[in-house]
Amino acid sequence: MPEPAPAPAGIDPRGPRFAAAITALLLIVDIMLGLTGLAVDGTLPTVPVAQRILDPAFLLLLAIALLFLWSLAWPRSAPWGVLFRRVVRPRLKPPAELEDPRPPRFAQGVGLLVAVIGLVLQLFGVPWALPIAAMAAFVAAFLNAAFGLCLGCQLYLLLQRLGLIGRHAAA
Amino acid sequence: MNPLDALLILAALLAVTIGVGLYLRWVQNRPRRHISHEVVDPLRLGADGLGENATLLQFSTQLCARCPHVHRTLRSVAEDHAGVRHLDIDLTHRPDIAKHFHVLQTPTTLVLDRNGVVQTRFGGVPNRSVVELELIRLAGETAHA
Repeated sequence: MPEPAPAPAGIDPRGPRFAAAITALLLIVDIMLGLTGLAVDGTLPTVPVAQRILDPAFLLLLAIALLFLWSLAWPRSAPWGVLFRRVVRPRLKPPAELEDPRPPRFAQGVGLLVAVIGLVLQLFGVPWALPIAAMAAFVAAFLNAAFGLCLGCQLYLLLQRLGLIGRHAAA
Repeated sequence: MNPLDALLILAALLAVTIGVGLYLRWVQNRPRRHISHEVVDPLRLGADGLGENATLLQFSTQLCARCPHVHRTLRSVAEDHAGVRHLDIDLTHRPDIAKHFHVLQTPTTLVLDRNGVVQTRFGGVPNRSVVELELIRLAGETAHA
């Protein structure tokens, strides 16, 4: 029977879900800031770029994007993962199974892309772009935290079917 | 926008997201039987044979968070049912197989009968009980035939 190719050392699958829960909470705050801020009150196209950047919703989404980048580039040291391993995991039962670390990492990249699109559009003065990007990221993070569904991971096969990624990746 | 309107939008977003999550969970446990009932050739998939009574044919990829979980579930189902074999096919480097079976998500699981004919399809992470029910249904149908 063909077994899946040997994977890198497994991680506790509850780690990424814990991180997704915190990300979802941060995104809720950011959506709230965005909806009550200048992104939707009609003034965004008229204010200078500096003011678009100093919008609290922009700054928070920037921080969230940097956290996505952190867990994409250096997953072992990403803050929510460290918090999970140091504080949460010792209080839980050992995991029933370990998980491949690559899909959650790929999903972090998708989250980063969505956040960056929102940030760039806000810089160009596009109204609603920032809260809508935060909402899209929130849906993905919440589904992961609450239901264990990883939309970013699902995307991988679709992209691969289209021949965009992975076909010649080393096993 | 005043904070109350923002909260209402937030509540609507949360409700829609929970709705999507519940729907996706329901879909994953819904066996699909109106599919093309083709005969699967195990050699084409790189396997040496099929199960005597039924085969649980799982499609996985390397970057698939839930595949190892489904692998464990299906393997244990196969161990508990005589003549049932579990095959796990890695599609990472076989886009041709993914295309042939129209696999748009992993894991996808096909339930084959004793003749290797595709009978049921599960997209996502099915519960163990749903898969077992499908095997019982399949065994019943072959007994009557």
